[in-house]
Amino acid sequence: MNALFLAFSYLRYHWARSLVLVLVAALIMFVPVATQTLLSTSERALVARGEATPLLLGSRGSQLDLTMAALYFSEERPDPVAMREVESVWDSGLGVPIPVHTAFSSGGFRIVGTTLDYFDFRDLTPASGRGLSILGDAVIGSDVAAALGKRVGDTLVSAPENLFDLDGVYPLEMPIVGVLEPTNTPDDQAIFVDIKTAWVIQGIGHGHEDVVTAADVAAGTAALANAAVVQYQRITDDNIDSFHFHGSQDDFPASAVIVVPNDTRSSTILKGRYLDSELPTQLIEPAGVIQGLVDRIFRIKSLLDVVTAIIAVAAFAAVGLAVFLSYRLRAREIATAVKLGAQKGMVLRLLAAETITLLLIAGSIAAIGAAIVSRNAESWVGWLLALGA
Amino acid sequence: MVRVENLTFGYGADGFRLRVPEFSLDDGERVAVVGPSGSGKTTLLNLIAGILRPDDGRIDVAGTEVSGLSDAARRRFRASRIGFVFQDFALLDYLSARQNIFYPYRITPALVLDDAARDRAERLASACGIGDKLDRHPGGLSQGEQQRVAICRALVTQPKLILSDEATGNLDPDSKARILDLLFEQATEAGAAVLAVTHDHELLPRFERVLDFAQFREGATA
Amino acid sequence: MVRVLNGFLAFVVIALSGTTAFAQDRPRVVAVNQALHDFAERLLGDAAEVVFPVPEGVDPSFWRPSIADISMIQSADLILLNGAGFATWIDRVSLPRSRVVNTSAAIEDRFIVTESITHSHGDGGEHSHEGIASYTWLDPMLAIAQAEAIAAAVIVRDLAIEGIVEARLAELRSDLTALDAMAQDALSGMDGVAMIATHPRYQYFARRYSLSIASLEWDAGAMPGEDDLADLERLSTELDAGILIWEAQPPREAIELADALGLKSIVFETWAGQGTPDSLFTAYRQAVSDLADAASQFAD
Repeated sequence: MNALFLAFSYLRYHWARSLVLVLVAALIMFVPVATQTLLSTSERALVARGEATPLLLGSRGSQLDLTMAALYFSEERPDPVAMREVESVWDSGLGVPIPVHTAFSSGGFRIVGTTLDYFDFRDLTPASGRGLSILGDAVIGSDVAAALGKRVGDTLVSAPENLFDLDGVYPLEMPIVGVLEPTNTPDDQAIFVDIKTAWVIQGIGHGHEDVVTAADVAAGTAALANAAVVQYQRITDDNIDSFHFHGSQDDFPASAVIVVPNDTRSSTILKGRYLDSELPTQLIEPAGVIQGLVDRIFRIKSLLDVVTAIIAVAAFAAVGLAVFLSYRLRAREIATAVKLGAQKGMVLRLLAAETITLLLIAGSIAAIGAAIVSRNAESWVGWLLALGA
Repeated sequence: MVRVENLTFGYGADGFRLRVPEFSLDDGERVAVVGPSGSGKTTLLNLIAGILRPDDGRIDVAGTEVSGLSDAARRRFRASRIGFVFQDFALLDYLSARQNIFYPYRITPALVLDDAARDRAERLASACGIGDKLDRHPGGLSQGEQQRVAICRALVTQPKLILSDEATGNLDPDSKARILDLLFEQATEAGAAVLAVTHDHELLPRFERVLDFAQFREGATA
Repeated sequence: MVRVLNGFLAFVVIALSGTTAFAQDRPRVVAVNQALHDFAERLLGDAAEVVFPVPEGVDPSFWRPSIADISMIQSADLILLNGAGFATWIDRVSLPRSRVVNTSAAIEDRFIVTESITHSHGDGGEHSHEGIASYTWLDPMLAIAQAEAIAAAVIVRDLAIEGIVEARLAELRSDLTALDAMAQDALSGMDGVAMIATHPRYQYFARRYSLSIASLEWDAGAMPGEDDLADLERLSTELDAGILIWEAQPPREAIELADALGLKSIVFETWAGQGTPDSLFTAYRQAVSDLADAASQFAD
């Protein structure tokens, strides 16, 4: 108790030095724990998303790109897969195909064109507003709402694209009709529209365009916040009936198709159908692709562990040196204590109390930090994964 | 109070050697120890306090034969029976004046910091004129004030013997006399004897007796 | 003893299935036209609530559902589309694809392609849409195919007991076959008779029974304007037509105007939108026999 009192007084009096020591020690303890937590949460999140997505149909090419685009809405652009592939899965009766079209973005978030089946499949429900109803409707994830400060009743404008080199296709203004409950998955960072709306953005479907021009903006007739976008189309009550699609829907593109097989047998049959490497499409199991990715991450992580260990040793040596030097500085106090009749081992106890107090405080800070990390790991990992995408 | 007989002490085989055939200090007596530097004055204090063990001879303090005690017993004895005042005050900069006074209680289980001790500390501090400065750290006190704190620390445990090692050596001439008077005053109040090493010859008249140390130096008498 | 036990078990099963049937809301089936609605209702009986959401007097091809309508349709257990380009609103509304069934998917090779419609908008230049005649069910053979698609969808989704649906489908199939036979019989030998319809609705009907039916683009049930009448007169003269088919009961004066042009007016409800409470079969039989009568008069 007395030793602790003296130790605490000493640490408090030399607060700057104590603070540095505590922070360094806390950091050394915190970093590996936080890394471990974030990595294992990432792994869980990644694997969970992979496992929640039984099969993925897409154009033959990088399986990772396909998975990243369809599951995490990354910027990878796998070659589009034709909607006839969706129909052929329907016709097989072996599973439910859910197309996702992730070629466009708005405000830095992916616009995900899909069907209502996606919402059932991922169990997404609106926290406010309603689901997709009419061509042009957008339902946004909770992170999108928070990041862009958008609510039901606001609008979003798709980012201009020249990817498809279609003249006369303007960005589309979409009313936000719903904000989804947070799920801590990439769905929080997505702007969902009907895949038909995505086709309108792509220029495959269009109406008698009601283009909001720069002149309108200048004249103040358009309620427009984003000055960078000067021309865009808008689906209104007056022009919605004129919207139509050209050509056969079978030829329309999707980025990938999530396939939910009815059962294991259906899954096996379906996989068998796409084995031929001559086919333009492939059917993959995202869980396997993700596991490969996770394995790679963890190989890198083991390297990181070694680096962390080396740094920890070095840092503890530095802290040890600092403590040792401070003991040397206190030789005079020790001499005084001896003269005043200090109990044998008192000095040792004093120094131990000091070191233990330091480590306890550092440990508490590290523990609080680790608790904060693990409490928020899911959302942070979601954010990190989105960042990576 | 203190009886020293046939004391010999030496550092190493052919280093400094001290020999005290006889020395005594009565209860409440105030004795100055003078002598040239290196004559072993501080060594004598350390021997009496039990910090050092004599090679031979006998040291008896308040009826306890210090030289015969174990290390732990000597520590306990020192903490409870002896008050120390040093030339450099030996205050701890990280403790407030009050906590510096309590310091002896913090470092040994032989002493218990109870309400009586706290009251004593307050009384001593008031008597020494630092009653309103107890919350300051040594860095915020003048040298004289620091030595007053050190005197309070030496007396708070109610020792029967105060060992003062150049207690006034670092003080300006005005303060020297005042601090010494204060030390004597408080020692008298507590009924403690004072054995003080000093170089300040102008202070000697204030002591009851002066012990010139030159006579004890090995070889000096031979 | 075993028989008693079996009987008891059977009772328990029936009682349980009875309670579960009442415990939850009936499944909802939405159809995009009256014909599909009627077929679904015949196949499902009381097992499901069959809804045709387009209000009376509105052409289901051009209906625009409200948000409430859309939400009701989205929550349905089964959404029956006609396909063949019928009901364009489905292109502009989000539907749960897993619960949508295109009843004409199996008969796409029997679709009638109409002439292209060319138009232009924006900077995109002219482009054309290939039209497809939509009123497939007016050919009873295609109607059977559509009914079969409904039955299959109902069974797959377990909305009614399979055996019962199969039995009802057989009955519906035989009714439609009988209707077809009756029409074949009544309309045979009419290939020389030129007919005009106020709206292009009867392509599949005409093909099935080898009729020649030219079309106008009039508003259903409304009084034709002067331009409309001029079109009619020109077409009638050109084709030497004797029969004018209305898809809804026209105003009396309109019939008189047609009479004046030497055209016998026949009302043939297409059973797309909500019509008279007659069943499809009654309306169809009536129209067929009216046509046959008119043709025979005309031939005389």
